[in-house]
Amino acid sequence: MCKRLHILIAILAVILISTYAAEYVNAEENNESRLIVGFDAEFPPYGYKDDNGEYVGFDLDLAEEVCSRNGWELVKQPINWNSKDMELNTGSIDCIWNGFTMNGRENDYTWSSPYIDNSQVVIVKSGSGIEKLKDLKGKVVVVQMDSSAQAAFTGEDAEEENIKLAESFKELQQVSDYNSAFMNLEAGTVDAICMDIGVAKYQLDSRGKDFMMLDEYISTEQYGIGFKSGNTELRDKVQNTLLEMVKDGTFEEIAEKWGLTDCICLDENSVADDSNTDTKKKDNFAERLADVIEQLGSGIFATIKIFIFTLLFALPLGLIVTFLRMSKISVIRWLTKIYISIMRGTPLMLQLLVVFFGPYYLFGLSVSNSYRFYAVIIGFSLNYAAYFAEIYRAGIEAVPIGQREAAMVLGYSRTQIFRKIIFPQMVKRVLPPVTNEVITLVKDTSLAFVLAYTEMFTLAKQVAAANTSIMPLFVAGVFYYVFNFAVAFFMECLEKKLSYYN
Amino acid sequence: MKLLEIENLKKSFGELEVLKDISMSVEEGEVVSIIGSSGSGKSTLLRCAALLERMDGGTLKYCGETAAEDNGQGKSVYCSRKKLKELSGDFGMVFQNFNLFPHYSVLKNVTDAPVAVQKRNKQEVIKEAKELLKKVGLEGKEDSYPGQLSGGQQQRVAIARALALKPKMLFFDEPTSALDPEITAGILKVLKNLAAEKMTMVIVTHEIEFARNVSDRIIFMDSGLIVEEGSPYDVIDNPKNERTREFLQMCSDTD
Repeated sequence: MCKRLHILIAILAVILISTYAAEYVNAEENNESRLIVGFDAEFPPYGYKDDNGEYVGFDLDLAEEVCSRNGWELVKQPINWNSKDMELNTGSIDCIWNGFTMNGRENDYTWSSPYIDNSQVVIVKSGSGIEKLKDLKGKVVVVQMDSSAQAAFTGEDAEEENIKLAESFKELQQVSDYNSAFMNLEAGTVDAICMDIGVAKYQLDSRGKDFMMLDEYISTEQYGIGFKSGNTELRDKVQNTLLEMVKDGTFEEIAEKWGLTDCICLDENSVADDSNTDTKKKDNFAERLADVIEQLGSGIFATIKIFIFTLLFALPLGLIVTFLRMSKISVIRWLTKIYISIMRGTPLMLQLLVVFFGPYYLFGLSVSNSYRFYAVIIGFSLNYAAYFAEIYRAGIEAVPIGQREAAMVLGYSRTQIFRKIIFPQMVKRVLPPVTNEVITLVKDTSLAFVLAYTEMFTLAKQVAAANTSIMPLFVAGVFYYVFNFAVAFFMECLEKKLSYYN
Repeated sequence: MKLLEIENLKKSFGELEVLKDISMSVEEGEVVSIIGSSGSGKSTLLRCAALLERMDGGTLKYCGETAAEDNGQGKSVYCSRKKLKELSGDFGMVFQNFNLFPHYSVLKNVTDAPVAVQKRNKQEVIKEAKELLKKVGLEGKEDSYPGQLSGGQQQRVAIARALALKPKMLFFDEPTSALDPEITAGILKVLKNLAAEKMTMVIVTHEIEFARNVSDRIIFMDSGLIVEEGSPYDVIDNPKNERTREFLQMCSDTD
């Protein structure tokens, strides 16, 4: 035990030191002849996947033109929006060019001049009775994770007025993409979506009359191209090319193609503003670590909640599934087999989506927002019960038939045979494989993000994005490791306790 | 009084006809050994008698009470599960592989069924169990677990466990096959003591000397039929049937 603790401490130390070091290591300089543009592939009309499977959009067209004028090859790199800073810092992309809001992020990147004027608007279901911003009081509002809308409400530089507005909501939810935001709105689990006006117009055009946009805007903001802090050389090249394009009308042409003419705010005299690029990061490592841990606190609680409730339901449910799976009635046996096969054969992430959105899309039942947590627990429990069931079955079948026969001759009833003879021996046999599943569950809790349930890892990604640091992710990793270490330790104790016989 | 009566028992596993037409009975206080080569059907016969296998055809009675009857078309019809459970209290069984419950202590193995099944007073059962364990030579092993005992000791616990329910007769399915020869002698002694107390026993074995030593009557089986039946002197020392002679010859060759 003591030896193991030393190893653990050593591992933790290495992780922390490497995190710290990683912050100061400069990423490799880029290959001159290529421009790797990072974008969120679910952000039309700025960048998205079209019906032919091609990445297209206003920003990508601009980038294409800039590249061809500079003799560069354009690499379109779809990124996970939460990881955009890591992508940029590690040099795996050269810039973020994707309806990227400058406001509130002035200090985090080296920016081009703003080229699009964008505002945050609110979309509601037609006929919902919400007409003004003040009607949002007591409603559930959803924003994209780490989006401008979120920044407008909860960011460090959020305006007083918007913070107050956000506080009047019943809840401010986050989803990872606009598609699930609209699914939520349609299903009635949220009352309004807040998003960029350009995106909103595009979404309303393609989704029809079921939705409407409020006349009042939440905030006004601008889009720019974000480069890694200090990379003014590349910024200047791109900026100058853009200005050329404005001068000869190409820029306007592209804007017209995407219906964004009204939003353009770049003219040939624009100058990039570098006045704010000094970093105000906290230098003290311990202070930052404490900050991160504090920010992750509520997520840790959510993760533990998912973990405990899932086990609470899945462990006994698995036993019931085992009974059904071993039923003498073949119909029940086959139905159970199909259930297990689906649960094990499809991604848990998909199952969570089905549990959450299924009631609406299959049966037209609108679900309440509090169903979100229940859906997470139901989805996890159903999935893990299938795995536990098969483990239990193996455990039951491994108990020699003679045990059952001896018990039968001794006159035990069927329930007594299971409860007194089979079950205790099964438990001993299944402990190691069950431990495996439980450890997997600890890590799987992060999948709750698909239902916008903010558990620890989701939060870690957000904090990482906000701090432009990967340290929160490492802290998350340490948390998972420690959690699993405790789980493994507990299960080992249990195994030892049951080792009084063999 | 006949404690066990079997008539025209037939049993097949799929295509394989294991018991063709078996009729036998056991008197109170009698010790009967069933011998025969592997595959002769002797274990299946005992398992049918212990309700671990269902007969295809035939009649089964315990102490004159019917557990299964021929329906007139050669099929056995068993009585209700409740009735069967009641009748199964008439016999106890000892298995080749002991089948002790590994997670229970020796004492708990012996006392659990009388308390949980027969709902008897726990203190009284414990007192009796200790006496039974003493009788089979396991005094002081009450708190051990089966895994800590030798094969012979485990088999004695199994015998004590069966006796604790106070059955009218005991079935033994190859009780010494999993044991070393020198251990077998100890088990034989336990069985002889039981026989002296007039315990009715049916023993399936392929150990001829064991059968001769303990039995009042020997049944020799071959290919699902009873070939020869009588006192140990008649069957083992003066076999009349050719198959019996061959079997006994084979056994003495391997010994």
